[in-house]
Amino acid sequence: MYLLRAIVRPEKSSVVMKALFDAGFPAVTKLSVFGRGKQRGIKVGNVTYDELPKDLLMIVIPEKDKEFVIETIMLAARSGEKGQFGDGKIFVTPVEESYTISSGKKD
Amino acid sequence: MKLILAIIRITKMNETKIALSDAGLPSFTAMPVLGRGKGHGDLEKIESSDPELRELISEMPRLKSKRMITLVVTDDKKELAIETIIKANKSGKSGDGKLFVIPATDSIRVRTAETGEITLD
Repeated sequence: MYLLRAIVRPEKSSVVMKALFDAGFPAVTKLSVFGRGKQRGIKVGNVTYDELPKDLLMIVIPEKDKEFVIETIMLAARSGEKGQFGDGKIFVTPVEESYTISSGKKD
Repeated sequence: MKLILAIIRITKMNETKIALSDAGLPSFTAMPVLGRGKGHGDLEKIESSDPELRELISEMPRLKSKRMITLVVTDDKKELAIETIIKANKSGKSGDGKLFVIPATDSIRVRTAETGEITLD
């Protein structure tokens, strides 16, 4: 199992979530975060904005679906054909165990 | 060292806090999140809802407000933490949440720069 943490543009998060739902991965957790990336934020004149609002989507998936889900998120989160700076990142973390609380069972 | 990531009902926060304290695991971090799971569970129970509405809702489940709690525990306290969280949150209905166990490599106490399991006491 893997935990994917995708940092995407806030306006793209519903697009990504729709794409995930259509691909058969309905379970997602979303939280708003602030951050900066390689570009060190956005500089407008003398003002630097380095706490840019983003949405963090967390999704846990079985090992075999990893590539497919990453591809799905990337295609949905990319702005335009080639993508833009600020489209975000996806981090992959291994998950050892997963439990459903309502049944108390290990998945 | 394990990072335990649990997504639970907002209304169960107090019970979870008390249960974790009683179990000797007082430290954790909580944050408000929005989420959806497999969805459809509750729809079956809404008998009065008309089919059209039901179809509309089932197209895409709504995001629900949840709390995400994260805690880092030593390997030997993993089972205790999992049991405590599940026991405090289990109502048997869908929407109770999920719990994930993720390996953590190291932990550092900022105040003293100590590393390792000593920081988790």
